[in-house]
Amino acid sequence: MDDDLPTDFQVIVVGTGMVESIVAAACSRIGKNVLHLDSSDHYGGLWASYNFDGLQKFIKEVSEDPKRQEQVYNLSEKWYIEKDVSEEAEENKTDADPAKKIWSQTKFAAEYRKFNIDMTPKLLFSRGPLVELLISSNIARYAEFRCVTRVLTWLDDRLMPVPCSRADVFATDSVSILEKRQLMKMLTAIVGNTEEEMEQEFKDWNDKPFKDYLTHKGLTPNLIHYVLFAIAGGTDKMNCRDGVKESKKFLMSLGRYGNTPFLWPMYGSGELPQCFCRLCAVFGGVYCLNRPIDKVEHKVVDEGKSIVVIESKSKTLNCDHLVIGINECPKEMISPEPTESTDISKAVFVTNASIMPSEKEPLTLLRFPSLDGTDHAVTVLEVGPATGSCPKGLFVVYLITSKVTDAENDLMPYAQRIFDMNADQSETTEKPKCLWSVFYNVRDTSAPVASLVDNVHVCSGPDSGLDFDRAVEQAEQIFKKICPGEEFLPRAPDPEEIVFEDDAAPGPDFERTLEDEEEQKPEE
Amino acid sequence: MHGRLKVRTSEEEKVKKEKERQEKLKVFKHAMNVIQNKRKKCELDTEQLDVTGQVLTKNPDIYTLWNIRREILIVFRSNLSVMEMTKLYDAELSLTEYCLKINPKSYCAWHQREWVLMTRSDPDWQKELALCNTYLKLDERNFHTWDYRRFVVSQCKPDLQEEFNYTTEKLHDNFSNYSAWHYRSKMLLHLFPDKKGGRPIQDSHYKQELKMVLSAAFTDPDDTSAWFYQRWLLGAVKNITQIVVCTVTPSKVTIAINNSVSKSYIKEKIKVIINNHEVIGEWKSCLGNEYDDLWVLNHDQSIRNHLDIKVKHILVDNEMEVMRLSELKPAIYVGRNKISFQNKYSSTVLDELNEQLDACRQLLELEPDNRWTLLTTAFFLHCVDAKAYHKEIIDIISTLINIDEQRAGYYSDLKSKWCMEDNIQENYANLSLDYKVECKKLSSLPHLQYYSFCEALDLSNQNLTSRVLPGLIKLQHCKKLNLSNNKLTSLQGFPYLTLEELNITDNPLIENHVEQLRKKLKNTKIFF
Repeated sequence: MDDDLPTDFQVIVVGTGMVESIVAAACSRIGKNVLHLDSSDHYGGLWASYNFDGLQKFIKEVSEDPKRQEQVYNLSEKWYIEKDVSEEAEENKTDADPAKKIWSQTKFAAEYRKFNIDMTPKLLFSRGPLVELLISSNIARYAEFRCVTRVLTWLDDRLMPVPCSRADVFATDSVSILEKRQLMKMLTAIVGNTEEEMEQEFKDWNDKPFKDYLTHKGLTPNLIHYVLFAIAGGTDKMNCRDGVKESKKFLMSLGRYGNTPFLWPMYGSGELPQCFCRLCAVFGGVYCLNRPIDKVEHKVVDEGKSIVVIESKSKTLNCDHLVIGINECPKEMISPEPTESTDISKAVFVTNASIMPSEKEPLTLLRFPSLDGTDHAVTVLEVGPATGSCPKGLFVVYLITSKVTDAENDLMPYAQRIFDMNADQSETTEKPKCLWSVFYNVRDTSAPVASLVDNVHVCSGPDSGLDFDRAVEQAEQIFKKICPGEEFLPRAPDPEEIVFEDDAAPGPDFERTLEDEEEQKPEE
Repeated sequence: MHGRLKVRTSEEEKVKKEKERQEKLKVFKHAMNVIQNKRKKCELDTEQLDVTGQVLTKNPDIYTLWNIRREILIVFRSNLSVMEMTKLYDAELSLTEYCLKINPKSYCAWHQREWVLMTRSDPDWQKELALCNTYLKLDERNFHTWDYRRFVVSQCKPDLQEEFNYTTEKLHDNFSNYSAWHYRSKMLLHLFPDKKGGRPIQDSHYKQELKMVLSAAFTDPDDTSAWFYQRWLLGAVKNITQIVVCTVTPSKVTIAINNSVSKSYIKEKIKVIINNHEVIGEWKSCLGNEYDDLWVLNHDQSIRNHLDIKVKHILVDNEMEVMRLSELKPAIYVGRNKISFQNKYSSTVLDELNEQLDACRQLLELEPDNRWTLLTTAFFLHCVDAKAYHKEIIDIISTLINIDEQRAGYYSDLKSKWCMEDNIQENYANLSLDYKVECKKLSSLPHLQYYSFCEALDLSNQNLTSRVLPGLIKLQHCKKLNLSNNKLTSLQGFPYLTLEELNITDNPLIENHVEQLRKKLKNTKIFF
């Protein structure tokens, strides 16, 4: 196979993370000759989704070969259930819901293929740039989504649904009618006001805390909590400019698909880079996984043309532009070193019930305000079997925050609030039981990085934000540098619009009479 | 290059689309020709069913074709077995379902479906209810589907509580839904009437609905569907038909009622008795309508001095109300009832209204100029105690006229109505034949039948325009009418009244108008 691989490409992309994949698709789409490589045996890099087996391999790799997964550290995995379920336990379960399974490690392993656990779980804003891009580029047909069904917050020591849409505000019993009016007024003002009105309204507030503004507007403490923590996704310190910006983003995405502003990709966020790879391949991009690169060099060939030369598996590949993920990129090509940034603390839990039961299977975003009054809110995402994330009867819950000490210390207090961490599966408890968990820290490689060479483009890693917006933005910037003046991911044709040379449609071969047509038009 | 991707250009695409359209047109014309020829030859057969079906799947809205299909099915019915007809009816239902997928708002497809179900002997109503659910899931505001649902429910009589819950569910999805609110109101009256108290809705449910609708209204005040439901709800009170005033003079006998009633009502329930003899005669609506609130009795009795005149009114539950008329002037008899414009709510509902009123007042402190809150406050005040709060109500409406110019006309009429009610109640406290309406700036004249007995009425210094003129016919006994200093711009539509004096000075009228009125009212002295 190696022998078949051509050696000269216009664009070589190394790494199949989100940014790399979008750039690869965009270049291929407008006719560039693209080679896309990944050193690993799967797509996505740090953006990947794993089944339970794949995840075990990843965990093993991190602990046994830390060099290969430099970005991930402080990883600790823990089981809360037995290796095998004893006969006795199986029999004793009768008192609880009979449909409820007693889980064991063996049972997890048996259903490993039904898990899709994300390294970088993220949501899409229904009217955000990624959704718009997926639609305008027609890549959306490669993906499926589910609507997030609810937004929760932690208020007065318990989980509370946040009324965020008009329908929610109407239906909720947790706020008075007076508060309903106040909340709707605030929300519609944020969405509906023109730039000028906003300017006028906020001219004295921009750098002051958003919380103070909301208080000034006479909102009750409950409403302030909803708007500040759940809708704006902020903290006590969030300034007014950001608060309004974030709230607006949230509110503008309401009412497009479901009752919340968010979409979740079926089978995990790891699907999305693959959708872009698929488009790249449809337009002629060549793919090679398991293809580490050994060396990257910059050369000036005759006529002063600058090219990049890559050594991979003792083969030399040439390209005009190299697009490379930050993890794969030789350090000496990066300039300057990325600035010091806060790393990310993450945790994944598998539980046997939802954090807040509901009639239909929920898909939840919980924005957990900081418990210790610091500036670190925790984002919680809970996905169930309907999203293809786990077998029936289980839920996968992700917790994400900025690193303070380490993942476990940062996130455990939050997990304890919403899960039962050490109970027996056979007894029924109020909170869902945690069956398995993993905590880890990830280096934040999301800051944009410049390379020393003009035609080497470095792609950032995943950021800690809720959405993919920064990845889309960066991909477009890189594309514009490689292909100035070209359109970024124009609409890809549907299969029926494609013609092959041999059956190209002949030109018009008949004359029509216009009068005839206008007289008797069948109504469509 | 072989197999290389090539995308059709938009020019090619256009040509292709055009070609497809031409093909479609050809097929359509041909099929319509076949249908028309067969119809001319009266061929009501399977082939005609097939062809019309094919055309309808493309265009469900050609109602002629649906009519032809019904004709065919009616003919078939007398010749085919039940089994065969069942198949045909099933096929017809499938066709309408297919057509409704193309156009969910096709009047004729819904109608055809209704026809099939009413015609066949074995309709499956549960399936129809499920169909309604599907279509309302796709478009919760499709009034065709709601209408069809009402039809289905009227036939299969399911548990209405479930239907009520269904409206709750739909309103929670999106409360901007007139159809759902309307359906809810129907279910509410069916499910929870207060039989004991004689009220339309039981207190606990009434409260619940008031809460729900205020919640919708406060969530999105710009959505009118909730307000409509609230108005309906506030008006859903016990309503008793009552005689307001009865006037007997040598020239005319009139009876004014608080509501419009039908001729048969007045004939059966109301009797005028003079010196213990019932007056026999013909009742005539003042406006010449089927329903009216002022009725004239044509009779052949002569009205003299010192008569004993009574009016009997048979109320609901066959109770009898007797009113005795007094002779205010020689041979002028007037009998007036106790009147009230106050909606009567139970104390539970009143408590809820007071609570909601408080919420509105609090909100007004925050947003003093919010028109929706202002208007709702005015309505609540009016419902709780119109008389005690009269001044406050009028102040609020006056504020609204200033801040919401677009609806100033509506507010003015509302104010006129409430002012008139207040004024009428004041006037009715003193028995006289000569009244002055003391309100300011009336723009309309509701409840005018209450003044039907007056000999002189002063409506000067208002904002009355020419559109109120036809309504003056209610002043059947008026001799002196003062309309000076109003905004009359024309006198067209001025009714035939036997006036002695009419004052229309200080109106933007021209001589020509007055000339014409003089010809009309020959015996009236007109001041202009």
